[in-house]
Amino acid sequence: MRVFNAARAANRHLSLIGLALFATLLLAACATRGDDYPTSAGSPAFLPGKVVTQQGREAADLYLPIFIIAVVVFVLIEGILLFVALRFRRKRGDDTLPGQRHGNNVLELLWTGIPAVIVGVLFVVSTGVLLKVDAIAPNPAVTVDVTGFQWQWTFDYKDQGLSFTGAGKDGPEMVVPVDETIHIRLHSVDVIHSFYVPQFFRKLDVVPGRINEFQVNVEQEGTFGGQCAEFCGLAHADMYFTVRAVDRATFDQWVTDEQLKAAATPQPAPSGGPTAAKLQVSAVNKLAFEQATLRAPADVPLTIEFQNLDPVNPHNVSIKAGQPDGKDWIGLPIAKAGQVAVYQAPALPAGEYGYYCSVHPNMTGTLTVQ
Amino acid sequence: MASTPLPPAQSYRRAAVYDWITTVDHKKIGIMYVVSSFVFFLIGGLLALVIRTELAAPGLQFVSEATYNSIFGLHAINMIFLFVMPMLTGLGNYIVPLQVGAADMAFPRVNALSFWVFITGGLLIESSFLFGGAPVGWTMYAPLSTQAPETGVNLLVLGLIMTGISSILGAINFLVTLFRLRAPGMGLLRMPMFCWTQLVTSVLLLFSIPVVTAGLIMIFIDRNYGGGFFEPSLGGNPILWQHVFWFFGHPEVYILILPAFGIVSEIIPVFSRKPLFGYRAFVIATASIGALGFTVWAHHMFTTGAVYLPFFSFFTFLIAVPTGIKFFNWLATMWGGKLTFDTPMLYACGFIALFLIGGLDGAFLAVVPFDFMVQDTYWVVSHIHYVLVAGSLFAILAALFYWFPKMSGRKLDERLGKAQFWLLFVGTNVTFFPQHMLGLDGMIRRIADYSANAGWTELNFTSSVGAFMIAGAVLMFMWNVFATMRGPADAGDDPWDANTLEWATTSPPPVYNFDHLPPVRSERPLFDLKHRDDGHAPVAAISLSVTEGPVQ
Repeated sequence: MRVFNAARAANRHLSLIGLALFATLLLAACATRGDDYPTSAGSPAFLPGKVVTQQGREAADLYLPIFIIAVVVFVLIEGILLFVALRFRRKRGDDTLPGQRHGNNVLELLWTGIPAVIVGVLFVVSTGVLLKVDAIAPNPAVTVDVTGFQWQWTFDYKDQGLSFTGAGKDGPEMVVPVDETIHIRLHSVDVIHSFYVPQFFRKLDVVPGRINEFQVNVEQEGTFGGQCAEFCGLAHADMYFTVRAVDRATFDQWVTDEQLKAAATPQPAPSGGPTAAKLQVSAVNKLAFEQATLRAPADVPLTIEFQNLDPVNPHNVSIKAGQPDGKDWIGLPIAKAGQVAVYQAPALPAGEYGYYCSVHPNMTGTLTVQ
Repeated sequence: MASTPLPPAQSYRRAAVYDWITTVDHKKIGIMYVVSSFVFFLIGGLLALVIRTELAAPGLQFVSEATYNSIFGLHAINMIFLFVMPMLTGLGNYIVPLQVGAADMAFPRVNALSFWVFITGGLLIESSFLFGGAPVGWTMYAPLSTQAPETGVNLLVLGLIMTGISSILGAINFLVTLFRLRAPGMGLLRMPMFCWTQLVTSVLLLFSIPVVTAGLIMIFIDRNYGGGFFEPSLGGNPILWQHVFWFFGHPEVYILILPAFGIVSEIIPVFSRKPLFGYRAFVIATASIGALGFTVWAHHMFTTGAVYLPFFSFFTFLIAVPTGIKFFNWLATMWGGKLTFDTPMLYACGFIALFLIGGLDGAFLAVVPFDFMVQDTYWVVSHIHYVLVAGSLFAILAALFYWFPKMSGRKLDERLGKAQFWLLFVGTNVTFFPQHMLGLDGMIRRIADYSANAGWTELNFTSSVGAFMIAGAVLMFMWNVFATMRGPADAGDDPWDANTLEWATTSPPPVYNFDHLPPVRSERPLFDLKHRDDGHAPVAAISLSVTEGPVQ
C-alpha cells in the first residue's frame, strides 16, 4: 500500500512537471495568425456565438429548437439503454431463456412514423429559412467583388473604384455600412476557396469558373474575422480577412478617403537617394523566389525592385522583423501578375534576415545585411 | 482420423509462409485482411497523433504546414480505404461463408486476387509519403488535386484505383456467395443480419466504386496529360469532380457503417438470449438505407452554391428514419432479455450509446442554413469521427472480441478487454465531443494552426489528451491479442452460446469448414438445435453448450 502511495506521489510530480512543460511550450509558441480578429464567433459553447447579420440570425435561430429535439431523443435513447442494461441483467446461475419475442408491427410503425413526422416538419421549417437566407434583393447598397487566390484575397469595390489585396497576417479589410444590403460576389482565379465569416453564420465556396453570390445585412458595428474554409493548398491556414461594419456616414467618409489615397499614391521613387542600396528580386511562380539569398549593406535604406514574372499570381517582398520595432516589414503595394513594384524598406542593422512573400509565405529567402 | 508424419521442422516453416501467400482459403485470406488492415490502422493512428499533437497548442511546434497538409488527408485515406473497408471485408471473408454454411467463398482465387490487389494499392498509397506526400485531403478536390505538383498525388490516385478494383472483385464474390452458396433451408430471410448487411454493402460497392474509379482516372489524366476535365480554363468543371466523388463518397459512408450495424445485430441477440427484434424491419431498413444512400450525395456540397438544395436536404432528413428503426429494434431486442456484458456486448452497447451522437449531430447538418455555418468546420470532423470511431471502430472491436475465439480457439482476456472498453469510451468522448463546440464557434478543419486569441486552446488541448487515451486503448488491445495468443486454445466451439452456423463447427474451423450442417429452419439454426423442443428451453438443453461442462 505504501509503495502504491509513493508511486502515486511520484506520478503527481511527473504530471506537474508535464504541466509546467506544456505551459512553457504555450508561452514559447508565438502564434502570429489572425490574432487581432480571430475567426471565432465568441467562445466555444453548446449554443451559437454572436451572429451579426440579419440572414445569419434567421439561420442561427433554427439551432435551439433542433438542439432541444436532439437532447430529448438523446436522453430518451440513452435512458432506455441504461434502464435495460440495469434492469435486465442475467442473474448468476440463471439458465432459463427469456421470452422469445420476434417483433411487433405496431411498434415498428410507431417508431417509423413518429421520426418521419419530426424530420418532415424540420425539413419544411429549415427550407423556409433557407429561402430567406439565400434571397437576393434587386438593388443592393454596396457590391463587393471578392477574388480568392492562393493564398490571399482581393476585395474590389467596382462602383467606388477601389481595390484591396491582402498582405500580412490579417489579410485585406472589407468595409461595409450597417443595416444596408451588401451584395458579395465570389470569384476564384485558381482553386476552390470558401468565404467564411463565423459571425455571419454562413460560408459560400469560391469556385473557379463560376460566380457565387449572396447578400447580408449587417446589424451591428464592429470588426469580424473571416478565413478561407476550403482547403486550398500550402498556406490555406493563413488566408485571413476582416469585415468592418460602420455607419453610413463613416462608410462614405472611408470611401472618399480611400479614393483620394488611391489617386494620390505617387509612383514609387526609382531610387532611395545616393546612400540607398538597391536589391533586385523576381519570381516566376508561387513556389519560390528566383533568388534564395540576397546581400545588402547595413544601416542604409533599401530599395527593392521586385519583378513579378508570374503570369497568374500576385506577389510581394516582405522582411521578417524588418521594422525597427521588431515587426515584419510588409512590401506594399502587392505586385500583380506581370507587374514591377519598387519598395522602400527601412535601414537594417547587420545580421541575417528572412524575406518572404506575404501572399505566399512558402516563398522565402535569406537576406544577409553586413 | 488417420495421422500423417510431420515433415522436418526447417522446411515446415518455409512452407507455412508459402502456404499463407498462396492460400485461397477464405479464413486465411480473412485473417490476412484483418491483420494487414490493422497495420494500416496503426499508421493512420500515428498520423492522427501527429495531428492532435500539432493542434494541442496554437502555433506551429511539431510539424510544418506542408507536412501537416499531407498528413490529415493520408490519415483519412488510411482509416477509410485501408482500415475500415478492408477490416470489414476481412471479417466478412472469414464469417460470411461460415454463417451461410458454405465451404468457401464462391470464387476462392478471385478472393486471393482481391486481397493482393488491395495490398498493392495500400503500398502505393503509403509510398506517396516518400514522393512529396499528397497535400490534397482525402476528398482530392479539383483543381487543387489536378494542380498539385507532388508525385505523391499520382501514387495516391493509382493506389485508390487499385483498392477500388479490389473492392469490386470482393463485392462480386460476396454477392455470388450469398446468393448461390447458402445452406439448404436458408432462404434470404433466414440469413444472419451480418450477411444481409454485407449483401447490401456489396451492392453499394458495385454501383459506387466504378463511378469514383472513372473520376480518379480523369484526375490522373488531368494531372499528367492536361486533360482539363475539371479545369475551367480548358472548359472543364471542378464541381463535376465533387459530384463524381460524393456519388461514391456518400454510399461509402454506408459501406463503412452497414456491416457495423450487422455486427451489432449479431451480438446483441446472443448476449440478450433473445432473437433480433423485428428481423424483417431490419432487412427493410438496411435495404432502404442502401437505396437512400444514393440520393443524398450533394449534401456534402451545400456550400458550393451549385446544387439544388431542398432535394438533397429532404432525402438527408429522410435517411434518419431507417437508422432510427435500427436503434429502437436493438433496444427492443435487449428489453426483457437476460443480458450479460461480456466485452463484445459492452462494445455493442457503447456503439449504440455513441453512434447516436453521430446520428444526431448529422441531423443538424441536413438543415441547410445551419450547414452553411458548420460545413468544413470541426463540427463535421466531430460528426464523422462519432460515426467512424464510435460507430465503425467500436463495432470492429466488438466483432474482433466476439469472433476471436472462432478464429484462434482462444478468448481474449475479459478483464483487459473491459478496461480497454472504458478507456476507449472515455477517450472517444474526450477527443471528439469538444470538437462540436469548436466547430460551432467557427474553427475550420484542415488547418495546421489557429489563433491563440480565438478561445480554442483549452478545448483543443482536451481533444489531444483524448487522442492519447485512444492510443492507450489500442495498445491495450494489442497486448491482449499478444498475451492471449501465447495461452492455450481452450475457448471451445461455441463460447458465447450463440445462434448462427459459424459456431456449429470447430474453433478454428477446418479447411472447407463443416463436416455436416444442422438443418436451417430460422435465422438462428444453432439456437434451434440447442433448444430443439420449444422456444423456452429446459435447463438441460442449455448445458449442451461446450463451455458449460460435460453433457448431463
